[in-house]
Amino acid sequence: MDTRDLRDKTAIVSVGYTARQGAVPDTTDMRLALEACKNAIEDAGLKKDDVDGLLLQPTMGGVHSYNVAAQLGLDLRFTANLDVMGASSGCIAGYAAMAVAFGQANYVLCLYATTEHSVGFAGGGGMRPRAGSEFAYGAMGAPMSYALAARRGMDEFGTGPETWKHIAVNTRKWANLNPRATFYDKPLTFDDYYAEPWVAEPFRRADCCLVSDGARAFIVTTAERARQLKHPPAYIAGMGQYHHTANVAQSQFNTGPTAAKQSGADALRMAGITLKDISACEIYDCFTYTVELTMQSYGFFKPGGGKDFFKDGRTAPGGEFPVNTSGGLLSEVYYMGFTPLTEAVMQIQGRSGERQLKDPRYILASGNGGILQTHSTIILRR
Amino acid sequence: MSQAPPRRPSGPPPGPPPRPLPVADEDTKPFWEYTRKHELRVPKCQNCGKLYYPLSPICPHCLHMGADWAKLSGKGKVYSFIIARRRYHPAIPVPYVVAIIELEEGIRMTSNVVDCPPEDVRVGMPVEVVFDDLSPEFSLPKFRPAK
Repeated sequence: MDTRDLRDKTAIVSVGYTARQGAVPDTTDMRLALEACKNAIEDAGLKKDDVDGLLLQPTMGGVHSYNVAAQLGLDLRFTANLDVMGASSGCIAGYAAMAVAFGQANYVLCLYATTEHSVGFAGGGGMRPRAGSEFAYGAMGAPMSYALAARRGMDEFGTGPETWKHIAVNTRKWANLNPRATFYDKPLTFDDYYAEPWVAEPFRRADCCLVSDGARAFIVTTAERARQLKHPPAYIAGMGQYHHTANVAQSQFNTGPTAAKQSGADALRMAGITLKDISACEIYDCFTYTVELTMQSYGFFKPGGGKDFFKDGRTAPGGEFPVNTSGGLLSEVYYMGFTPLTEAVMQIQGRSGERQLKDPRYILASGNGGILQTHSTIILRR
Repeated sequence: MSQAPPRRPSGPPPGPPPRPLPVADEDTKPFWEYTRKHELRVPKCQNCGKLYYPLSPICPHCLHMGADWAKLSGKGKVYSFIIARRRYHPAIPVPYVVAIIELEEGIRMTSNVVDCPPEDVRVGMPVEVVFDDLSPEFSLPKFRPAK
């Protein structure tokens, strides 16, 4: 038995959005969660009683599998709350694929819901170093931690804002083609990028992802079942995960290669392809630097190669290598790894509207959690 | 990922919030007792002899539970740093520098670089420890350019 035996044997068949995305005050993450679940079930053309599996990335607000199942009236053969922070999306899709392949479930509903924008950030408590002294130093939040990694990366790779501005602007151009995106109506120029306020120097606001309300769901089933449903299946060709457990400050992974290296290698091996076969990437872009470092760690370019890779709109609409085609976490909406993964599904299914890629064959979607500590990779194909 | 303070506190704060202090529990208390005496010490595993940080009841190298407290030179280099220009906490004035310091002994520590304009901080800059007596209980090890 080997993961290669699972190549193309399972698929993601639907995506459930919420009508409201971004800033949704005066609601609950549970309501948003239920809406996304309903939409994912209907999008697949399934009846709710077909769903016998549920995996979700839990929130502190009580969106847990048993609560969601109770409100959807589901009886389940397979369920769990599954939290590997930003890598949860790909891990969840992978576990769902294994479950349906082995008959533990027929249709696994996968979910993330959040009211981080309106209520506040509720996750990540487990990342706090035991010394508990970070706050005393004014070291607060993910932007600072990633900025520390990025500042080191500037020295090692010769990149920095001159590189990151391309990532921010290219991603924004994709968002400008996506009516769901928070920044759909807001173009971003290089001048705008430099005019943005510092969040934690060297990061400006445009280097940092959104903080959003909303939910996103998708359904995983076997390839045979997938072919009977409404939309073309997005086959799971490859999957991988890897998690460096080292503490942030001690970590060598500030400048990589991050766990993307091992996670990506596993996913490519399962899919039986190389990076050259990848048509586009949906990268977990919590920060611009995360995109540079993740793609470098996957092996798309050598250390420092990000300087040229993102230039001249190469990863923007019309560019030769599309990256983060929904606008990503930077410019569409921040639903952890569910944002990039569901966009990969929509692109493979040919349902991305004005931003639709022409005949994408393989799309790689990444999840990344903690401070470059957890990673998941899903490779989807038509 | 450090936990962000909740954006909507459940009630109005009684006054200006105090400066956040470290947490001293069973495993971290000795560290803060030493820093109060202006000594920088980290656990040294009684089994494998390796130093480790952050503070923990278990050695991440050999899983032994039991350590002595080894005194560090307090000398190191800036591994990386950021400049906080917007206010993150009402009791912490900006700008300030948050840095990862790589100590001579191989340990890295998150701290502040002080006694130096933020613009002059560089990756690789030699630094030495200095203690900020924050309260009667807590002296924070911080770092300044090496003399």
